[in-house]
Amino acid sequence: MELLSNLALGFATALSPMNLFLGFVGCLVGTLIGVLPGVGPIATIAMLMPLTLKVDPTGALIMLAGIYYGAQYGGSTTAILVNMPGEVTAVVTAIDGHEMAKRGSAGRALGIAALGSFFAGSVATLIIAAIGAPLTRLALLFGPAEYFGLMVFGLGLAIVLARGSVLKALIMVVLGLLLSTVGTDLETGQERLTLGIPELSDGVDFAVLAMGVFGIAEILRNLENPESRNVAIAQIGRLLPSREDLRRCLGPIVRATGIGSVLGILPGNGAVLGPFASYALEKKLAKDPSRFGRGAIEGVAGPESANNAGAQTSFIPLLTLGIPPNAVMALMVGAMTIHGLIPGPQVMTKHPALFWGMIASMWIGNLLLLVINLPLIGLWVRLLKVPYRLMFTTILLFCAIGIYSINNNPYDVYFTAFFGLAGYLFIKLGLEPAPMLLGFVLGRLMEEKLRQALALSEGSLMTFVERPVAAALLAVAAAVMLVAVLPAVSRSRQKAFQE
Amino acid sequence: MVPGAKRPRLTWIKSRASLGRRMAAMQGRILRQDFLGGLAVIGVAALAYWLARKLPASAAGGMGPGALPKGLAVLLGGLGILLLLNAFKSERLARWSVRGPLFVLGGLILFGVTVRPLGLALAGPILIAAAGFASSEVRWRETLIYGLAMTLFCVGLFKFALGLPIPLAPWLVGY
Repeated sequence: MELLSNLALGFATALSPMNLFLGFVGCLVGTLIGVLPGVGPIATIAMLMPLTLKVDPTGALIMLAGIYYGAQYGGSTTAILVNMPGEVTAVVTAIDGHEMAKRGSAGRALGIAALGSFFAGSVATLIIAAIGAPLTRLALLFGPAEYFGLMVFGLGLAIVLARGSVLKALIMVVLGLLLSTVGTDLETGQERLTLGIPELSDGVDFAVLAMGVFGIAEILRNLENPESRNVAIAQIGRLLPSREDLRRCLGPIVRATGIGSVLGILPGNGAVLGPFASYALEKKLAKDPSRFGRGAIEGVAGPESANNAGAQTSFIPLLTLGIPPNAVMALMVGAMTIHGLIPGPQVMTKHPALFWGMIASMWIGNLLLLVINLPLIGLWVRLLKVPYRLMFTTILLFCAIGIYSINNNPYDVYFTAFFGLAGYLFIKLGLEPAPMLLGFVLGRLMEEKLRQALALSEGSLMTFVERPVAAALLAVAAAVMLVAVLPAVSRSRQKAFQE
Repeated sequence: MVPGAKRPRLTWIKSRASLGRRMAAMQGRILRQDFLGGLAVIGVAALAYWLARKLPASAAGGMGPGALPKGLAVLLGGLGILLLLNAFKSERLARWSVRGPLFVLGGLILFGVTVRPLGLALAGPILIAAAGFASSEVRWRETLIYGLAMTLFCVGLFKFALGLPIPLAPWLVGY
């Protein structure tokens, strides 16, 4: 019953004309940018964050969430139509989706992707609503030592689930943690690692870091690999899947929703793994696996549903525990802090309208995507014909205006350029920036909790051993990471990621 | 619709793959990805440790402000050494370009320098004009016209519709 009244509050908030409008704009703009190749959700959110500066926090988060799944949806659209996945999660969709498009049934692929996503999104919204409250109550019981343990556990899982080498992911997490210590020390007021630059005394701004290593670095990479775009697009055809299609896809969609929801909660690449896992599973379960890769509609329905379910459930750790499980959620933390909100269990108790409104807006957002995107596909296709030489300058201008506007400080633009260069180096050195962003976001909170815990125990590290929950979390984190570097496991892990 | 979009040309897909491959092969013989990566990581760790050298690691009743920066720097340095030691197994270094980073980052810095004194009305076209050169397919007139049009759009969106306090043209209108 409590769940129902909470959801009612949420829908009342999300359906207010202003919030509905912001959600609509978010979905629309998110899709618009998501369609553009080479601009993934992270860059999109970073770029469009300033659009929300003037809105109240609830509206801002609703809009950002809309941008997020709008961008994801846009990415799938380009994956199907022109075989250019807007981001990693749409890579699997491109396999069978584009094959379908080549055979003149792009419309059916887009339709089933939208329907599957809508189903998955609705289920995931219910999951969030159902386990949000209990998890929050649990988190409120945690002391500083447990919280610290939980964050180490989260980072440990993120490292293990990251793409590429465990060592490199670990390096990036530590680098992020180190970056988070830049700025004035909260307890003593001493300047740390600021190089004497006064603009750094508040620390590195999160949006600046994210925009640099994702937005700017992505532009630099795209400039190097001018990809040929097949702008001649086949007939889109009928959008609504047939009854036969629906019958085929029902199982995959339901299974993928389950897989995606579970993986989405995991830190690190959880939400990204969902589509791959779903595709692999459906291929195994299929009566005729050879159809996969040649335009099997299940190969579109499954991964797309898993993708959307994971995108949504990845909000759970953020909203209940205040721990962002991936880089996109880390950006949401940045957005919340800009609006003066500290993510964590207190969000739900102190701002119930914001918490439940955001959850309800996810469901509404999914509905909006279904309604606005299918008729607009023609427009999205035309957008693809804009040459990159014009597109990247526009993106750059938006980034520059946005970054400047966060603090009205030109230094933020310089720092963004610096982190853009750093991001370019990361690409060249094969270092994935997402774990760094996670480490950076969690860094300050981790240090605070660590120091609180040590102050409570009068400096004794034994507190992390004596308190069972903290000890267990730290032990699991250590165990997971040790196992991941064992040669046998790391080989099969590599194999799993290659699939 | 954006100008230039109506007539798609094939020239903007220029392939310089053969040159790139040759350069990559040349560099690859000398340097491995993780060798340079390891060195960079160790460098960052050393810099961080040096910057934090005067911060006390412990304070009354717990950790001091220097504990985490120093501890993390040492950890990072150690991981950097591990990366360096395994560098011989890593991929060869890919081709680097100078043009893209130079003009894109240079454009951003120009924007930062000009946005306050000159306002968005000029900083915008300056950024687009400078960054436009990052692409080998740059066209003078198109970039200029596009830059002006885009700036106009952004002024409308950010300055008037959203009311952000970004300077418009202080030398002309006073704000």
